[in-house]
Order: sequence, then structure tokens, then C-alpha cells
Amino acid sequence: MSLEDTSLPQRFMELSLRTIKNIHNNTAQSPPPQLTTQETNEGQEEFTPAFLGQTTLQHRPIPLQPRPDQTPVIAIDVSSIRLGETDTGILLALRPATVWKQRGSVYRYMRFGPFPIHITDQNQHDILSLFHEHNHTQHGNNLLHQLTSTPDLNQTQTRITALLEKWLQTQIAAQARNSLILLDGSLTAGTNENPPSAITRLLETARNNHNTILALTKITRLRLNGHNITNLIEANQKPCLLQLNGYQTPSTYNHIRQMGAIYVAKLNHSPYTFRLDTDVDISSQQAVEAVEHLIANDLITDGYPETLRLAHIHATFTANEVIGIQRFLAQAYGIKIAQRPNIRRLLFGPYGTRHET
Amino acid sequence: MRLYKKEGNTIQILSFPNETVEKGDYLLIEDPKQNRAQIVQVIDIQFANIPGIIEDLLRDTTNGHTEGELAGTDYDPLEIASQITVIQDSRILICKIRASLEKAHLTTGGTWLPSRTQSQIKRLSTATLLNLIRINHALPINLGETKDNTQLNIDATALDGALNIVTGKKGTGKSHLSKILVLGLIQHGAPTVILDLNGEYSQIGYEQNGTKSPYHNKIHVLTPSVNFKVTLAQMKLRVIMNILIHALNLPGTSAREFKRIWQALDERAELTLKDLGDALRNLKCNQHVKDALHSRYYSMVNSGFFTDNPSQALNLEDHFYAIRNGGALVINLQDTGLLDRQIVVEYMLSKLTDLLTQHKLRAVFLFAEEAHLYLRETYWDDIVTRMRHYGVFTTFITNQPDTIRENIYRQADNIFLFNFTNEHDLETVSHAAKVDAETVKSIAADLPTQHCILLGNSVRDFPLVAKVRSLNVQTMGQTRLFFNQTKAINLKQ
Repeated sequence: MSLEDTSLPQRFMELSLRTIKNIHNNTAQSPPPQLTTQETNEGQEEFTPAFLGQTTLQHRPIPLQPRPDQTPVIAIDVSSIRLGETDTGILLALRPATVWKQRGSVYRYMRFGPFPIHITDQNQHDILSLFHEHNHTQHGNNLLHQLTSTPDLNQTQTRITALLEKWLQTQIAAQARNSLILLDGSLTAGTNENPPSAITRLLETARNNHNTILALTKITRLRLNGHNITNLIEANQKPCLLQLNGYQTPSTYNHIRQMGAIYVAKLNHSPYTFRLDTDVDISSQQAVEAVEHLIANDLITDGYPETLRLAHIHATFTANEVIGIQRFLAQAYGIKIAQRPNIRRLLFGPYGTRHET
Repeated sequence: MRLYKKEGNTIQILSFPNETVEKGDYLLIEDPKQNRAQIVQVIDIQFANIPGIIEDLLRDTTNGHTEGELAGTDYDPLEIASQITVIQDSRILICKIRASLEKAHLTTGGTWLPSRTQSQIKRLSTATLLNLIRINHALPINLGETKDNTQLNIDATALDGALNIVTGKKGTGKSHLSKILVLGLIQHGAPTVILDLNGEYSQIGYEQNGTKSPYHNKIHVLTPSVNFKVTLAQMKLRVIMNILIHALNLPGTSAREFKRIWQALDERAELTLKDLGDALRNLKCNQHVKDALHSRYYSMVNSGFFTDNPSQALNLEDHFYAIRNGGALVINLQDTGLLDRQIVVEYMLSKLTDLLTQHKLRAVFLFAEEAHLYLRETYWDDIVTRMRHYGVFTTFITNQPDTIRENIYRQADNIFLFNFTNEHDLETVSHAAKVDAETVKSIAADLPTQHCILLGNSVRDFPLVAKVRSLNVQTMGQTRLFFNQTKAINLKQ
């Protein structure tokens, strides 16, 4: 299994260098502290606050029996962090990571980057074109249009992170065979950063290569009868899946599409449960078997697969890495990160405690 | 290096891994706008408190935490990881302000604050520092070399009129340094007296190969009860009373009786052991007093230090005269018992004080090894006050710093501090007035063998670490070992 195709990282590196070199004003202002937080690409499904059609929901726990075999488990995660702001845009750093494991072998990881990127209104198009070239779908132009049509740079970070993650997931789905591919988040589509075309292509690619996509959401807001769906499984219940049939998108969220079958998953004896999305085009039995392979072939800690946890850990930026990247930018390109004055603090002193908007 | 923080006279400097700085090094913080600089000394090096470092370390040690290990590859085409490593390894240098430098003149303290953004920080070589602090090199004593291979000389005048302490744990090189100081003083014509507890100095007149050194004729080794004996007539009443009361613990009533006997014998010019013994035998007084005096008398007789034969008696004055222009009297106390040691030292110091009071000697440099083993309580204060005033300039050498009183540390002019690892020892030494406690505790704890930190007048209060040079003399201070000898015998066979 080769998961080390670096064609995008190479292009990404070129893009990174090109955008950094184009910073005219060699001073970037660091964001206020509350914005310098890790912004991993998670929780993409959170557009659906409640279930409709609750009466049709089938409440059928499916017990899980571990099925050990040699099926590889692969997890993908991407982190991005804002390094600062320039007069013309924002400075980001991105880092994708994949972790894979086959029964009897060690966990292996591949980490790309970090890639600092300077995003401006002018180069947004170029950046998104890069992903377009790598996503030769019939919906590609729509996707590009959707992404470039929104000028708000503050949202661009989330979008680029999501696109990079989607690209990496698709790459893995194309290169791997007979594997379980774990995603951080859901298979909800319809947002700018998760266009249906991209998810469709990902699922198709995975199916064509006999891979199974399992998307795990750590925190969900999906509710049933007012209760969070992750509370539907008793804490002391044995490992099981609860399939949530009958879900309908609320009319106010017509653009949102659930591209997967939704389950609540309790993967081991720990009390934690998660939302699990599987490819809607595979049978329920196939989905359950895939999860049974997962719990047998991967370590499950606190009900969460270790590969996915490691992928998140390896992608995440620590504070000193951010300082290191800022130092790199200062040394290699003379970009100094200056502290931006906190206007709320300036105006309101100790009372200016809320997030700056 | 960048200036980070200042609290009191402590300055913290941010340093990166490629900047090699060690404990004890001096740095110059130049503020170009204020046109002056601060000289600081690094007393500790710590990792910088980088946010997120614990997360990094935990992530790097994820190996083996699961059922298998974790292996992988980082594709880092921009090589940013190297910058991150620099951040992770960045350090904070804890420094003490030693002086300010303004127009090539040194002033004490750090009453001003250098600019954090404008200041330039660079290492200050020992040679440059020595030039700046202008140590007088008229009478140099070479102690060794500093880390940057600069020869470190102190001036003999720094020991003149001074109270010095050489201390460090066992086997770190204290006696070795003391010998260097002794020979340096002799070289510059100073008379020295060594109270040699372990017989370490008896061979300093010989080179390692056994031949006589240039100092041979200037070294006089006196061994009590061998070539160092005295008659009672040489004693003054004050000296013998000190011996009886302080060394032999004679009670007050008995002491008064003894005084009366002594004065009677002195008037009759019969101050001999024999006559003293006869007088005590014929004494009509309380039996307890008589017994007490008898027991002290026999202690004196048994010490072998006293003789009735004038030809066997040593004229200490002659020996002092012999070393007046440079030389050493080594009082070898190696095979002398505790009581006898105290008798000898009591006599020695009394005689020394007399000669100095009468201006028969200008001054004497006294080296006292493990002085608590023979120096009576009242002498400690006497040495640092009255005797110092007369011209006894003492150097205490000990591996048990708590045997020297705190006031001695406070008044010490020079401290030659070798390694200590015991916190209690470091705490004791840290009471020295010549340097802050943090410097002592931090630097001394990490000194290698044969390295010492010099504190005080000899380095004009700029603590300097030096590797003590080797000395071409026969070193008797080395501990005799069993297995070395066994090995040698086996090799011969």
C-alpha cells in the first residue's frame, strides 16, 4: 500500500512559496489570542439541528462482533492555523496527516508540511484552481464558482482546509485497496467547503477500489425527540450500532444533503458514542461488517479509533510550532509578525473581554 | 541572544541552540542608544518556557503507547521543522548583573535598564574581562586557566590582609590550590605558616621526580615531638594557661593553683618538667585539685612536645626569622593526637602573636586545614579580628563548610570554591558576602573536579571559574589506596 503520493504537496509547496513571496508589506499582524486557536476541520455536518420524521425512525441496536483480518485502517486529518494578518490578506499554515495500520504491524504516519500560505482576495482564485485541477469532476466548475464567489477571507481558511482534506481523502481512496478509510467529520454535503460533488467523488472512488469510508463525528447536534442522538445508546451497552433511518433535511436547509447513512456508534465498552456516517450506497450489512473489522483491527480507546486520534495529533499545530513557522517566515522572507492591537481592550480595558468581531 | 526579563539584579536572556554559552560565562549587553553596557554573568541555563512544548514532547513519544509502535515520515519541503526545533531547544540564560560599563569605566550594579529591543548581547571573553577589571598583576600567582584558555593570575596583594576560604567536597582539589597559593606567596617573599593536618605539605619542597625544588630551602617542616619540641621556660604563663584551660580543660580552681606553682617555679628559674612534677607531688591542697593538675601534667609529658633538654628545644623565632623573606613553616600534625594538636596550635599561635606584636615579624599568611579539629572556639573570632589586625592573614581550607562559622564567611575577602553537591554545604557557603547565594549554589554545584570559582577581592568581585593548574611538587595529599598497590604488586609478579 503506497500512501505517499506527494504530487499535491509539491504543488502546494510551490503555491505556498508563491503566495508568501508576494507579501508586499513585510509585516503581518498576529491575530488576537482567541483567534490563534487550532482550527481543525471537524464538525462539518453541523447544519442540521434536529430530526424530522421522528416517528419513522427505526430504533434497532445492531450488536458488533470484532472480525479480525488484515484489512488496513487509514485515517486522515488536516489542521490549519492562522499565523497572522497582512494588509491584503491572511497568513495561514496547513498540515495534513495520514495514519495507517494493518493488523500485526505498527502504526505508520505520513505528515505533509507545514505549508504557510498567504491568502488574498487576488490569489484566492489561484489557490482554489489548484484543487480544481486535482478534482476533475463534472461539478468542478460549480465548486470553483462557489468557492471564489465568497470574498470573505475569514471563511477561506476553513474552506481551504476542507478542500485539502477532501483532496487527501480522495487520493487515499484512489490509492488504497480493500481498506477502511476513517474521516474526521460527517458525510454532510452542501456547504461551500463540502460540495456534494467532492463527497460523491470521494465515495465513488472508495467504492471502485473496494474501500469503505467511515466518517466519525466527535460532537454532533443531531437530536431525536430533543435528545442528542449520541445519548440513544445506554452507557453500559455492549459495542453496537444504532441506525438512524428516516432522517429528513429540514426545509430551511434545503441545500444540505446527507450523503451517508447515519449511525450512532458505540465501538467498545467505554461509555462514549459517536455519530458514524457510512456510504449510503453500500448495504447496511457491509457497513456493519466494516465497523466490525475496524474494532478488531484498530485499537479503540474511549470508543474512538486510534488511527484517527493519531492523525489528529500529528496534524495539530502546537503553540511552539506556530512560533517556529513565524520564525521561518521572518528568516526566509523577512515577514515580521507584529501584535495587532486589541481594539476591544483598548476601548473597554478590562471590560473588553468578548471575542473581537 | 535577546534580552528577555530583568528582576532585581537578575537578567534573563533568550538564547538559541547555536549560541554556545555555559554557566560562569560573562556576557556584554550593549545598549547603543544609551551608549553603555552591562556586564552579566550566566549562573544558570534553563529551557525556555515555550508554549505547547509538552504537547510536542508527548506527540513525539507516542511510540510504544499502543499495541505496536508508531513510525512515519515527515514530508517537510520547506524545512520548517528545523526552525521548530530551534524554538523547542531555545534556552533562558539566568544572569547576574556584575557591573555597568560606561566609556570604558566600570561601575557597580545595574541601576539602569538596557533596551530590550535595541540591545546587542555578545559573549565577553575572560581576557577582555580581565583587562576591564584591571587586576593588578605586579605579584601574580598563576592559578590555572579559564574555559577559554586564558591564563588566570591573581595578585598576591589580594591575599594580603585578607581572610580566605578554600572549600569544596573531598577530592576536588582544595589542597592542590592551597599549595599553589603557598608557593606563590613564597615566590613573592611572603612568610607562610601551614597547619598541616594530613602531612600533605611536608614534601612541597620536592618536585614530582623527587629532586629538590627551588623552594626546598624555604620550606621548614616541623613535626611536633620529633623536631618541634619546647621547654617550659620558652612558654609564657599566658600560653601555658591557655593550653591547660582550653586544650586540656583544666577547671578554674585548679588553674589558679597551677598559676601559683608556675609563678613560684619561674621566680626560682626552675621551669622544667621535672621541677613542675616535683612541685605537683609536694603540693598540699585539695586532693581533687591535685589529681586534676597531675592528670594535665602527664598529658603534657606524654605529648612529647615538651622537653627539659634545651638542645632538643626548637627556637621558633629562628624559624620565623628564616622565612621572613619568603618561606613556609609546615607544622606537620599528621601523627599528632587531638589534645597534642591543640597544645601545639595554641603554642604556635601564641608565639606568632607575640612576634607580630613585638614587630619581629611584619605579617604571616596562615594556612589552616580543617581548623575545627584543632582550633579552640575563641580563636575563630580572634583570627578574623585581633590577629588579623596584627598581621595573621588566614586561609581556611575545609571540606566541611559548616565547621566554619557564618561570620567567617561574611567577612571572607576571598573564597576559592570547589564543587559541592550537598545542598546544606552550598547553603552554608552561600552566606559569603562577596557574592549572591544563587551564584554559589548554581555554579558550584556543577563545577568539575579541579575547577573552582573564585569569589572576592582576588577577582575584584567578578566570579571566575578556573581549572586549577597542575603543580610540579610531590603531592602527599592523595589518599593511599589499597587496590592501586595490589595492582602494582600483581604487575611486578
